[in-house]
Amino acid sequence: MNRNAATKLLAEKLTNEVVVTNLGQATLEMQQVRDRDLNFYTFGSMGQCSSIALGIAQARPDVRVVSLDGDGSLLMNLGLLTTIANQAPPNLSVVVWDNEVHQTTGGQPTATGLRTSLAAIAVGAGFEHVLQPQNEEELSAAFNRILNEDGPFFVEVKVDPGPAAGEMGRDLMWYKLRFMRALAALHR
Amino acid sequence: MTTEGWHLAIADALRRNDIRYFATVPDFIISQVLHHLWEDETCHVVTSSREEEGLGMLSGAYLAGKRGALLMQNSGLGNCVNTLASLNIALQIPVVMVISHRGDVGEYNAAQVPMGQAAERILEACDVRYVTPHTVEEFEAEADGLIKLAYTRNLPVAFLLPNDLTGGRYSK
Repeated sequence: MNRNAATKLLAEKLTNEVVVTNLGQATLEMQQVRDRDLNFYTFGSMGQCSSIALGIAQARPDVRVVSLDGDGSLLMNLGLLTTIANQAPPNLSVVVWDNEVHQTTGGQPTATGLRTSLAAIAVGAGFEHVLQPQNEEELSAAFNRILNEDGPFFVEVKVDPGPAAGEMGRDLMWYKLRFMRALAALHR
Repeated sequence: MTTEGWHLAIADALRRNDIRYFATVPDFIISQVLHHLWEDETCHVVTSSREEEGLGMLSGAYLAGKRGALLMQNSGLGNCVNTLASLNIALQIPVVMVISHRGDVGEYNAAQVPMGQAAERILEACDVRYVTPHTVEEFEAEADGLIKLAYTRNLPVAFLLPNDLTGGRYSK
């Protein structure tokens, strides 16, 4: 699947959900597809995208949180999957754009292009809901589930390698404050 | 000058400053603080697989309006450095770190010593304001002020707990 199309498919279904995006491609793609106040973009701290999403989900159990992580980053912090599975916040979903490469640094291969399955690791970590959509129709159905049903969900989405188009907005503090104000303004 | 009840003093200082969300990778020393938090129904303590992960979680909670503290050993400070710098400091996301200090005077495990000796310089290299209270009185004199500073400036702060406060951990 194409990551840009997959991001658009999610973006058009979003209403009042928080989306946390992983540094590099997921952040740039979401900025380009649908920049919105309830997006929290990460630009560094590789591996922590879904940790941040877990903290938001536990602090605001009334809000649905979707983490758009990457295979290279998640491989750096696999232990997090055990924390999420055992904390089991029903309002959290981890979606991994798995392109099997470190795209942002030049496309060097990751373990998921070899013998490693993040979906299988999520099952082993204790996730009850692990989805592996194989085409856009299944992906659309998966997004409908994570936006409407109790999780936590783990969604492995195999996407084609290649950089996202466009220029990344890098005003970290402005994005942070915009996000905090929008989330605080969302009524409990 | 007393050290008795140091662990309750720390738990109480965190709680009276409205901190109810905690991440930890426990050790023998810090567990004495954790016991007070574990048995408090108003506190949520998450044991993360790695300290850096706890920092990510607490940062997310702060963005959503909740204060948090990370309880760990100084070895965990080493595991935190990149996230501390690129998330908490770069984006001004406050967090209170409570760090047991292994690898200093009285240490029996040689593997602990290099990180123990580096701990203060790691905090200084990251410009993290920290205190090293040696008694409960010293802790009480600085605790509220240090936590307040974290949320005034929106930056991480640390309590680095020396052995003479905590009793440390000695080999039998």
